[in-house]
Amino acid sequence: MEKQPREQAVTEPADSGAGGEEGGSPQVAGAQTARPQDRLTLLLRLRAQTKQQLLEYKSVVDANEEKTPEQIMQDKQIEAKIEDLENEIEDVKIAFEIKKLALDRMQLSTALKKNLEKINPKTSVLMDNMKHVLKLNKLIMKSQQESWDLEEKLLDVRKKRLQLKQASEGKLLEIQTEKNKQKDDLASMENSDKIKTIQQNLQMEIQITTVIQHVFQNLILGSKANWAEDSTFKETVLQLEKNLTMM
Amino acid sequence: MSVLRPLDKQPGLNTATILLVGTEDALLQQLADSMLKEDCASELKVHLARSLPLPSNVNRPRIDLIVFVVNLHSKYSLRNVEESLHHVDATFFLGKVGFLITGAGREGHCSIHWNTVVRLARTYRSPLLFCDLEVEGFRATVAQRLVRMLQICAGHVPGVSALNLLSLLRSSENPALEDV
Repeated sequence: MEKQPREQAVTEPADSGAGGEEGGSPQVAGAQTARPQDRLTLLLRLRAQTKQQLLEYKSVVDANEEKTPEQIMQDKQIEAKIEDLENEIEDVKIAFEIKKLALDRMQLSTALKKNLEKINPKTSVLMDNMKHVLKLNKLIMKSQQESWDLEEKLLDVRKKRLQLKQASEGKLLEIQTEKNKQKDDLASMENSDKIKTIQQNLQMEIQITTVIQHVFQNLILGSKANWAEDSTFKETVLQLEKNLTMM
Repeated sequence: MSVLRPLDKQPGLNTATILLVGTEDALLQQLADSMLKEDCASELKVHLARSLPLPSNVNRPRIDLIVFVVNLHSKYSLRNVEESLHHVDATFFLGKVGFLITGAGREGHCSIHWNTVVRLARTYRSPLLFCDLEVEGFRATVAQRLVRMLQICAGHVPGVSALNLLSLLRSSENPALEDV
């Protein structure tokens, strides 16, 4: 459907200052002093406009400088680059949203301020709402403080329990080491040389005593005395019958 | 040229040009007249076109703002606008394009659902204005708005750029964080 588009242009200078003074009717003398003022304002306005337009063009040029790479890159690099760019976009979007929220907040607060200045502050519903909000905030702060204190107490109790546990652990460890030491001492004692020599001495003494006893026995028997009648003799002989090693 | 680019010409001194694209000639003419009646410090130029692409033999100034006018009563105007959108460079949509919807007042005559145009504006990330161009008062109001937008898009308002305005015009219903 090839339609020939029709176009019309409608132009009209809406401000006499913009169109200039050429072809205008002769001005009154009082208006002539206003003309340089108008020209000055026009020049200032044009200056502001050109500045703004220059800014726009500059920003477009800056935006166009960041070109996408033309050379052939590996898939992974391209994907990484795409991710980076997307992250950048997200960051900028988020920052912008935050700034917008801040702006909205400022606007709201100024509007609220102006509203409060106008109306009678004591009787409005807004003040009631704000007072209620303040009360609730105080309550919130109090309960938060209480919960914080309770948490602190809980933390202290837990700490103490931990300390006690650690102390008991230490004590049990000590007991164990002591027991082990005792066992070791015992074991070492049994194998020490001192004991062996003492044992040998003991054996020798026992043998000497046995020999002496046998000598006494033989003496008494050899003397042909009647040892059964005398109690002391009987005792000695009978005693000497015992095997000393079994004593 | 087959594609309209926003910054390929030098701006005229103290001049701002708006291009109104739409099939309803009478409404466009009335809107143009209302806009020219507005009190504005800069010189205004209003171009009217039925559709794009514009004929290349005409010497025209740099176009600062394009407004596509869609009448909800006729599907043809929507199709016309959609086809014309292909002849606009992508960089134009950074705040220098707007959609103006007319005819929403008479619900019975609407053949296009307003959600269609809302989706269209959302796709092109451009501001959407609703106005009944046949009523004098509404037309004057929207003419005022358009004149202000035009001044900003032409760079005549120091400190505000077209992109700034675009961000400010986003309502809270379609936040900027919507996915691409």
